[in-house]
Amino acid sequence: MRPEDTKDAVVFKRSVQPLQWGTQVALLASFGGMLGLMLFAGVDSLRALRQVQLRNVQIRQTFLLRNRALEEIRSALYQSGTFTRDYLLERDASRAETYRASLQQVQVEMDAALARYSRSLDGPEESPFQALQGRISDYWKVLDPVFHWDADEKLARSDDFMHEELFPRRATTLEIADRIAGVNEQELNNGDERLKDIFDRFRYRMGLMLAITLGVGVLLALATTRHILHLARDADLRYRQAAQAQGQLKELSARLVEAQEQERRAISRELHDEVGQSLSALLMELGNLGAVAPGDAELRSHLESIRKLAEGSVNVVRNMALLLRPSMLDDLGLVPALQWQAREISKRTGMAVTVDAETVADDLPEDLKTCIYRVVQEALHNCARHAFARSVRIQVVQQSGRIHLSVLDDGQGFDSTHTRGLGLLGMEERVTHLGGNFQLHSEPGHGTGLRIEIPLSESAMEAIA
Amino acid sequence: MSPVRILLADDHTVMRNGLRLLLERQPHLQVVGEAADGRQAVAISESANPDVVIMDIGMPNLNGIEATRQIVNRNPRTAIAILSMHSDESYVIRALKAGARAYLLKDSAEADLLAAVRALTEGKSFFSPAISKILVEDYMRQLESRGAEDTYELLTNREREILQLLAEGRTNKEVANMLNLSLYTVETHRTHILQKLNLHSVPELILYAVRKGIIA
Repeated sequence: MRPEDTKDAVVFKRSVQPLQWGTQVALLASFGGMLGLMLFAGVDSLRALRQVQLRNVQIRQTFLLRNRALEEIRSALYQSGTFTRDYLLERDASRAETYRASLQQVQVEMDAALARYSRSLDGPEESPFQALQGRISDYWKVLDPVFHWDADEKLARSDDFMHEELFPRRATTLEIADRIAGVNEQELNNGDERLKDIFDRFRYRMGLMLAITLGVGVLLALATTRHILHLARDADLRYRQAAQAQGQLKELSARLVEAQEQERRAISRELHDEVGQSLSALLMELGNLGAVAPGDAELRSHLESIRKLAEGSVNVVRNMALLLRPSMLDDLGLVPALQWQAREISKRTGMAVTVDAETVADDLPEDLKTCIYRVVQEALHNCARHAFARSVRIQVVQQSGRIHLSVLDDGQGFDSTHTRGLGLLGMEERVTHLGGNFQLHSEPGHGTGLRIEIPLSESAMEAIA
Repeated sequence: MSPVRILLADDHTVMRNGLRLLLERQPHLQVVGEAADGRQAVAISESANPDVVIMDIGMPNLNGIEATRQIVNRNPRTAIAILSMHSDESYVIRALKAGARAYLLKDSAEADLLAAVRALTEGKSFFSPAISKILVEDYMRQLESRGAEDTYELLTNREREILQLLAEGRTNKEVANMLNLSLYTVETHRTHILQKLNLHSVPELILYAVRKGIIA
């Protein structure tokens, strides 16, 4: 990352408020309201349908009932005519009496039918029905004297009576019954009309409900969508912010590591080349001084003690320089540095360390060399300090544009899925920064295996070739 | 006897002055040039054609090991003694592979330098006792930790004799003359020795000999 890139860091200032009470209540109210409207509309339509159905059944039943009563009245009228005629024409008194009884039976039935009809009487039928009742009662009254006639009277008057009284009256009464039937039918039609009215009102209410629900729904959907989009934008913003911060953090840590490495190298070089060389020159000059100085024993012993001091200092400086950053890494390449590291750790801890790295080029890129060296250093440190390994095998293979490193030990291992120290984290960071991948596998009692793989950049491959 | 002509290559002036003083106290030694970096060392070797080059490793422009390789490539008769702060065997083996025949530590230069120049003029190798000690110790530790058997036991007496001569810096031909053998026989022995000791080159063989204490 170049320094000017850092100005991006201050771009994102906007922050998101958490979902507030008002929004929660509004959301609850609008969704609740819409659901309520839908529920009401549903219940209302069910109720209306049921009402219509009931009404319909009721109208049909009333119509049928009246129609049947009218039919009965009509047939009773016919029968009464027939029985009256049979009674008048019959000479045998006892048989005539049976006709009269039948006629009375007919009258009873007709009265019953009239009574049934009058119970379900409606406004427009009232006057024709009263007319019918009057006619019928007149009809019966006209018939009544006939039964008091003796045989001669019957013989003499029945013919006239039948043609002039009985049949015309029966006809006019039947006419009224027909009219009532007409009115009844009209009633049926009126009922249908009323049903249609109910239906229309219901339809209107349904439409209104639907429109309101739809409107509320659309409003709600718009509001919700807007809010969700807003949230999504904010989430995206935050994600990018977090990702950028993470990237910057990684960059920073990589730069810190790099700076540390450069510092170490500089100090190591300075110690080795300046301090060490000066001390060596000092030793040399001491030798020269010894050669020209007189053979005075005291002077000799002072010279000897200076020489010992300088020698001790040279060793200290050399060791410090190597610990900071082994000069082999820069002078000779990765493999000699790894071999030195292996020997050093063997010397200090007694752990047997083997390095197998025959295919690796001397002049790997600087960052790659350093990365692998430091990872191995950390791994060996862990092997000795925590794993108490007896032997460690380090293998570095350079193959088809990649460097593979494995460090396997026979130590006590650990649960690698749960435990990760800072050292491991640092190793992983170094490796991923170079675009490599890092795998660590360990189980208690089964040693530890570390495997990393880092791609060689194209320029690096050219440089090596 | 003509004096031994010496080139000093070191980027520290104080060091060069001290070395010059040390060497020129001997009447048969003559410092014919001084170089402050590897490139100069190669150029002066070309022009002054010294018998011995005393070479530092850590120098600007071209390091001592590369300079050694170039000088030996151009004139294999030039004997090169590395004089370095570095005591690790990786530097020693690298220097030997580049063609150096002696390896001295700077902190013991004053004591070892004259012996090294003498060994080189006699065609032998030389290592600072401090270096030999480190190498021997490392070797013993490795043998111990790996529990490996001592491969030196596998060599016949004749092979041990040849190993020592080769490690001292003799060529195959010199060895053949000294032991009254044919050149072919010496080469066969050499191959067997390298195989038995699991070594790949003469520099490694020299290092081995130092570790075993066969040569100093």
